[in-house]
Amino acid sequence: MPDILNLTIQQTINGVVMGCLYVMVALGLTLIYGVMNQINFAHADFVTLGGFAAYFFVQWVGGAYLLSIVVALFAGALLGYLINLTIFAPLRERGDELRPLIATIGVSILLENGSLLAFGPVPYQFNSPYDETIRFGKIFFTSQSLLVVIVASSTIAGLYLFMKYTFTGKALRAISQDRETAGLMGINQKFLIMLTIVIASAMAGMAGAMLGPILVLTPFAGASVIVKSFAIVIIGGFGNMAGTIIAGLLVGLIEAFTTQYLGSGVIDLVVFALLLVMLLVKPTGLVAEKKEENV
Amino acid sequence: MSELRLLKKIPTWVQYLLVAGVIWVLPILLSGSAYWKGILVVIAMNIMLAMSLNLILGYTGQLNLGHSAFFGVGAYATTLLIKKAGFTFWVAALSGSFLAGAVGIFLAFFATRLKGHYLAIASMAFAIILHQILLNWDSMTSGPLGIYGIPAPTPIHLLGTEIKFNNNVNLFYLVATVTMITYIILGNLLRSPIGDTLRAIRDDEVSAASLGINAKLWKIFAFGIGAFIAGLAGSFYPSFVGTLVPDAFAVVESFTYLAMVIVGGMGTMFGPIIGAVVLTILPELLRSLGDARLLVYGISLTLVVLFMPGGILQAFQTIRDKLFKSH
Repeated sequence: MPDILNLTIQQTINGVVMGCLYVMVALGLTLIYGVMNQINFAHADFVTLGGFAAYFFVQWVGGAYLLSIVVALFAGALLGYLINLTIFAPLRERGDELRPLIATIGVSILLENGSLLAFGPVPYQFNSPYDETIRFGKIFFTSQSLLVVIVASSTIAGLYLFMKYTFTGKALRAISQDRETAGLMGINQKFLIMLTIVIASAMAGMAGAMLGPILVLTPFAGASVIVKSFAIVIIGGFGNMAGTIIAGLLVGLIEAFTTQYLGSGVIDLVVFALLLVMLLVKPTGLVAEKKEENV
Repeated sequence: MSELRLLKKIPTWVQYLLVAGVIWVLPILLSGSAYWKGILVVIAMNIMLAMSLNLILGYTGQLNLGHSAFFGVGAYATTLLIKKAGFTFWVAALSGSFLAGAVGIFLAFFATRLKGHYLAIASMAFAIILHQILLNWDSMTSGPLGIYGIPAPTPIHLLGTEIKFNNNVNLFYLVATVTMITYIILGNLLRSPIGDTLRAIRDDEVSAASLGINAKLWKIFAFGIGAFIAGLAGSFYPSFVGTLVPDAFAVVESFTYLAMVIVGGMGTMFGPIIGAVVLTILPELLRSLGDARLLVYGISLTLVVLFMPGGILQAFQTIRDKLFKSH
């Protein structure tokens, strides 16, 4: 049955493209969780605002689309810097576990509805110049999809190399393994935590710029991605990069095949049912490397 | 009642009478505005939701972001039992609340295995799943179109007179009475050793366990009772609005209840009431600026966590103590 084979390959490609974007968003969450055991709920809105920054850069400034991804990167980085400055850094001093999470829920509601007020609920048509269709036999994908996969995988590879080989990357890993000891070794925690949040948020912004032309751009664009990213970081194992990448691609594939066989309305149902099952059966995630205090 | 020392000198039954008087007089004061009488009903429901979330979050220390699901189960179960099974409102409301409680106990099985952020995400996932079920189960819930023409609660006969609930004043009296009874029962429960048990689990689960407290059991208890109360609030919601759409139970609504609890003062009896009142009225006052309801929740939640960690109640107490230096 070559048709089924074609269909499977086609959906696998679609799944990998979305999976790449999910990985970019979820990796940020996992990085932040790794260094300071916190979740940034507003991460979703960094995706959205990254998308809008790129959109307005292309529309108003007339910039090139590729450059707009860089603009979104900086927009995300700036938002990350600000949320660390206003929320995470002051609340860390008080040492409360759940308050930063609750505060970022507030920031998320604020940003989402602020952008709803500013940009309106009508979806923005964000056209990428990379819209020509590439076909192999009966399999289609756009060059935008190819771009997503290339940019995402090189970003992820860059992040991996950074974490593995640079001194700063090693220091970051040291912090996620044992914050106190890392501090005793003279590692500047405050700066590195800030840096992590900035890197994570920059990736969220980039994901927004690449997501815009694939999905529609609305103030809620990020929210639809972020809930899946939460699922991904838990399925993959919180704080674990490799697990997050596997789980991100897995959720992308599940989404593609669910759309094909069950309809797009039930994607969230399938993904979150999987998450709850995962939490019951193996709460440490697919790849569990360090001890978890939360389960 | 140690939270409001001014009230300490007044006997409890007089306090209840005073509150009953306020409940009685509020719709009369607002008799000019049908709109604000409706807001009163919303406030009463929100107080129930905030109080019940506070039981789970503030007293037992479980960050539950799935409270909108319990509210939704209560609302949909009540409506469907009335519409499809022909139950009277009262039987349906009670069944719906018990079903919500059962759903809460189900979620508690996750809660007993997870903590902190994991629980937050699991409970949020739970609320998303319920919202998706409501959207997709067309034959039962009519999906995103919603259920229309939901009748008011069945009239009751009291002392020979028939009381109808097809107007917002009587509906407010009904919901406010239920809210007040809930407050009294919850307050007594939390003053009893059970309250100490829940607080012990919140403050240090390991120490609590070393004292022989079965933390799992009591978390399940808190989730069950909390969800039951949220379901009870939910049972009144459809007949108040007249229509029932899944988006009323989107996960963001959980965040609004969270905001009420945090802004008012988590882990106190009175705080969530203040939070529910303030955060229901404030967006209405700002309605002229556009639909800024959620924006208000976002801003106040962020600012309170950053600058008033104990919420409005504690800020009020701090100011009063500074002014009067009373002990």
